[in-house]
Amino acid sequence: MRTLYLWIIAILLTAPFFVVLGVSVGASSNITFPPEALSSAWYDELLTEADWLAAIGRSLLIAVLAALISTTVALAINYVLWRTGSRFAKMTFALGLGPFLLPPIILALGASLFWAEVGWYGRMEATIVSHGVFFVTLPLVIIARGFAALTDEVIEAAQMMGATPAQVFRTVIFPLIAPYVMTGFALVAIISVNEYLVANMISGFVVETLPIKIFNNVRYGYSPVVAAASMLFVALTVTILLILARITDLVALFGTSQER
Amino acid sequence: MIRTPSFAPRLIGGLAFAVMAIFFVIPLLFMIVVSFYQPDPMGFYKEAFVFENYGKFFSSFYYTVSFRSILSSGLGAVIVVALAFPLVLFVSDLSRRLQLFWIILLLSMMCLSEVIIGFAWLILMSESAGLPRLLEWMGLWENPRSLSPSFGAMMIGLVFLGFSIVALILYPSVARRDRSIEEAAVTLGTPPALVFFKVLLPTFRTSLSSVTLTMFVYLLGVFVMPTMLGRPKDWTMTVIISDKALGDANLPLGAALAVVMLIVTIIVLVASALLTRRRGA
Repeated sequence: MRTLYLWIIAILLTAPFFVVLGVSVGASSNITFPPEALSSAWYDELLTEADWLAAIGRSLLIAVLAALISTTVALAINYVLWRTGSRFAKMTFALGLGPFLLPPIILALGASLFWAEVGWYGRMEATIVSHGVFFVTLPLVIIARGFAALTDEVIEAAQMMGATPAQVFRTVIFPLIAPYVMTGFALVAIISVNEYLVANMISGFVVETLPIKIFNNVRYGYSPVVAAASMLFVALTVTILLILARITDLVALFGTSQER
Repeated sequence: MIRTPSFAPRLIGGLAFAVMAIFFVIPLLFMIVVSFYQPDPMGFYKEAFVFENYGKFFSSFYYTVSFRSILSSGLGAVIVVALAFPLVLFVSDLSRRLQLFWIILLLSMMCLSEVIIGFAWLILMSESAGLPRLLEWMGLWENPRSLSPSFGAMMIGLVFLGFSIVALILYPSVARRDRSIEEAAVTLGTPPALVFFKVLLPTFRTSLSSVTLTMFVYLLGVFVMPTMLGRPKDWTMTVIISDKALGDANLPLGAALAVVMLIVTIIVLVASALLTRRRGA
């Protein structure tokens, strides 16, 4: 019974992607499944056409820089909260949870109006900063678990040896929380690469990211290149998560910490 | 640790706060300001202080859209939680290796673009590929036609989108639950279904209701699924807001609608917080 339910859900969750995979390797330019003949033509088109390459490059650049902003801010908030425990730090932490709790359309419209007023409408920097700030919640919560796992003894030992706060941070704290920071960084990067609404409302007409390009393609008559692009995303996302699973203990991070 | 008040943490904290305030809070406040501006057909907006944008909300069209959004998000949230809760329960009892498999699967689904999930379902429900074709091949459907756009297709998209998020939110508390009561019940010969309804459901009532509300708010803001998989008459407020702001270039009206949605969201979140606090006490 239980196993059956798990299987059904696993199949439902993955089935759409097998169909997309089928379409992306099919030779026909109409969307058909199962494919009648195999071909890699759509992947060739995806990886040689300047339009698609530019979108892929933009998306990756935005993702890496946004993840950098997100994790830096999340690390700063957590560090200050851990070091001082002040009311102000708690408030900043709560503020960081905000973007996750609001429907993205509200954030997107607010950001779009804001950047238009600032005069950065249509600039990639605007998308980067907004992604960085809106996705801060995930690294914030993840890095908080890292700080919660720090024991006082190591830090006190370092202090007793005469380390300055900066030295303690660099030599003791950072190595211990680095896996959490990396997890946060990777997740923000993945989410940013995949994000459509905020990117589109801030400067979608000018800064065309990969999801925007896919969406526009689907809307105005699509070719199997879209399927190939989608599969590229799936592969990228799953690969990064698998690497992450090697570096950190994802089960402990998202669930139970005790060994079962 | 020894807390020595010093300048550095304050500076770092202040900077982090400033980043959040400038790029998260100020845009929202500015949106509220714009919602009182006058729309300008030639450009963006004219500075003013008028209520006409909110006045427009009180019309049958926006009532219908609001009602529809609340209906589809509410329904979606309930379905998502009803499907995800048993899954999380079962997964939490699996071996560590299998748990890791599920977490990676759920994380991948959570991170994947709405656009791609929508596109995948679009293909899965199209005439030439996917389900209709499968049913035809099985001899169950004579003249298959596309299953999307439709209300059902949109709901499937919404449920799919929310599923992994709910599962990942519920996972930690479910995995760390105290298993003694259910084990006792099972030992005494209680059927699994009864254990589920009499022990597990009451234990997690609070977190289930709060995650349902979180999901409701999340689904309220989904844009791609209704546009890709739904018919124009299924379109939710999110689509209308984006349509007004980008399509019609009526930013003040879009802002006013977004402010209404913000107010609804805040009410739901406060209700959720109160619910958790009362039960927790």
